[in-house]
Amino acid sequence: MRVASSIRKAASTGGPPGSGYRRQLLLLLAPFVLGSVLLVIVPALFTVAIAFTDYRAVRPPIWAGLDNFRSLAASPMARISLRSTVTFLLAAVPLRLIGALALALLLQSRRRLVSLQRAFVYLPTVIPEVAYAIIWLWVFNPLYGPLNAAMRWLGLPAVDWLAAEGTAQAAIVIMALFTFGEGFVVLLAGLQSIPRAIYEAARVDGASGWQSFWRITFPLLLPWLLVLSFRDLIVSMQGTFTPSFVMTYGGPYYATTYVPLLVYELAFDFFDFGMAAAALVATYVVLMMLILGVLNIVSGWRPADA
Amino acid sequence: MRRVRAGFAWLLPLALTLLFLLPLFWAGVNSLGAVDAPPPRTVVWWPADPRWDNYAMLFELLPVGRYLRNSLLVVAGAVPLTVLTASAAGFGMAQLDEPAYRRLLLFSVAVLMVPGASVWIARFQILRWLGLLDTLWALIAPAFAASSPLFVLLYTWNFRRIPAELFEAAWLEGISARAAWWRLAMPLARPTTVAVVVLTVVLYWSDFVSPVLYLYDPGRYTLPVGLQVLKQLDPTAWPLLMAGAVLMTLPVIALFILLHRFFLSDHSLAALFERN
Repeated sequence: MRVASSIRKAASTGGPPGSGYRRQLLLLLAPFVLGSVLLVIVPALFTVAIAFTDYRAVRPPIWAGLDNFRSLAASPMARISLRSTVTFLLAAVPLRLIGALALALLLQSRRRLVSLQRAFVYLPTVIPEVAYAIIWLWVFNPLYGPLNAAMRWLGLPAVDWLAAEGTAQAAIVIMALFTFGEGFVVLLAGLQSIPRAIYEAARVDGASGWQSFWRITFPLLLPWLLVLSFRDLIVSMQGTFTPSFVMTYGGPYYATTYVPLLVYELAFDFFDFGMAAAALVATYVVLMMLILGVLNIVSGWRPADA
Repeated sequence: MRRVRAGFAWLLPLALTLLFLLPLFWAGVNSLGAVDAPPPRTVVWWPADPRWDNYAMLFELLPVGRYLRNSLLVVAGAVPLTVLTASAAGFGMAQLDEPAYRRLLLFSVAVLMVPGASVWIARFQILRWLGLLDTLWALIAPAFAASSPLFVLLYTWNFRRIPAELFEAAWLEGISARAAWWRLAMPLARPTTVAVVVLTVVLYWSDFVSPVLYLYDPGRYTLPVGLQVLKQLDPTAWPLLMAGAVLMTLPVIALFILLHRFFLSDHSLAALFERN
């Protein structure tokens, strides 16, 4: 009897039988969903809430309206931090995406050893962050570092990379340009999802490689690039924590006190949780504006007719 | 002309690959330099007198053995947990109806878009409330929630490609969702499991932020914090710092190179990401 009814159910819906089965599926999902709510969603919402409170050390939070945001706007350190974070993201994220796209295009064909070459491209991404920061600390060392040795060899003046504001920020961007493994793999997969036949048709019609990139590859990859650029804003910002903590500790003159390090100092050195949360909320608002700006540009973009 | 272009297509990726490897190579070379003399001012391709005992010195200076043990404990706890929670959630997501799948996809993307720093403060309080602050569980905690929604999605897309006919016979026999996940679906998702294992090992082996935020007792430090301690001890002991960096990096690189085929060959890339 039971078998007959589940056959009917399976046949009619084409899906798995019974509400008991569905309940079991939800049970399988429970650790991920509940855990993410407890460890990510609730903490993030809590951060937004305490941004509007006076919440220091062990005293319970007291509603403070926009006080934290006012003190942030008045704090030179916070202003420098937000500005250098946005500068960093505007430099690093597009360059990382271009690098990932260029290498995905170069390494998409089925040559011999291509998957080993892909592994080498991904390699810097798997190096532990602290080890990576220490290796770069050596590369940027003004006296013994290989980067300055190379510059001397080229006849360029030696640079004390981490001692001046501009070059220290540039150094952190340079480091970030090697660790785009995730975007690289996603774009490789994106390139594979484009049917070969489209390119052959374009070639028959006499399209050059350049034309077929801008008229076929780029438009079809655009959704992938958009999703990646939004994710990379978040990932790259978080990625500044270890280099700024290990290499420069925010210096010189707060030039590399990017938002994660600022939040760390406010929350875990000064125990001013309210201010730390406000700094994050302000940053997130700026990131959202960046994302909306990109979407606005893209929605007006059409492949050029020519 | 065509030959030149083909050669170029080969050489350019090779040159870039070498550029990626160069910093790593330098770290290796410099880890063998003399600790008691200033480092050479020119680029050295191989030290004249390689000091292999720099690596032994690390273990004498700091309780590196203990850091290593803690790191291995975290990885050993977090990796199986992540595979279980991510694959279970992926199976649930793949087999639920389309509207539920879309809601869960949205949920996963929302979780992916939360900046790490914005959970620090509250997670600190939650861990304290649970009594897990200053324990290795504080580092393992994200594994209970699949570590990253990315891993759940990899499993979901893999499971969605399994033809439904495969499950229909089992459904007729009244198979439970748990058995269908573990006995039928999991054996068909081995490449995804390998990819998730490698990425999870890297994630927990490298984790620097969590121990900095949630650990105080030096006896519980993991390798990344140990390397930072070494740097604070003597920021100019370059050979030792490089030896520490190499020691931390080699295991993950070996694992990655050994298993790269599972997620970087054309076949497996298609298997990981293709949706139907």
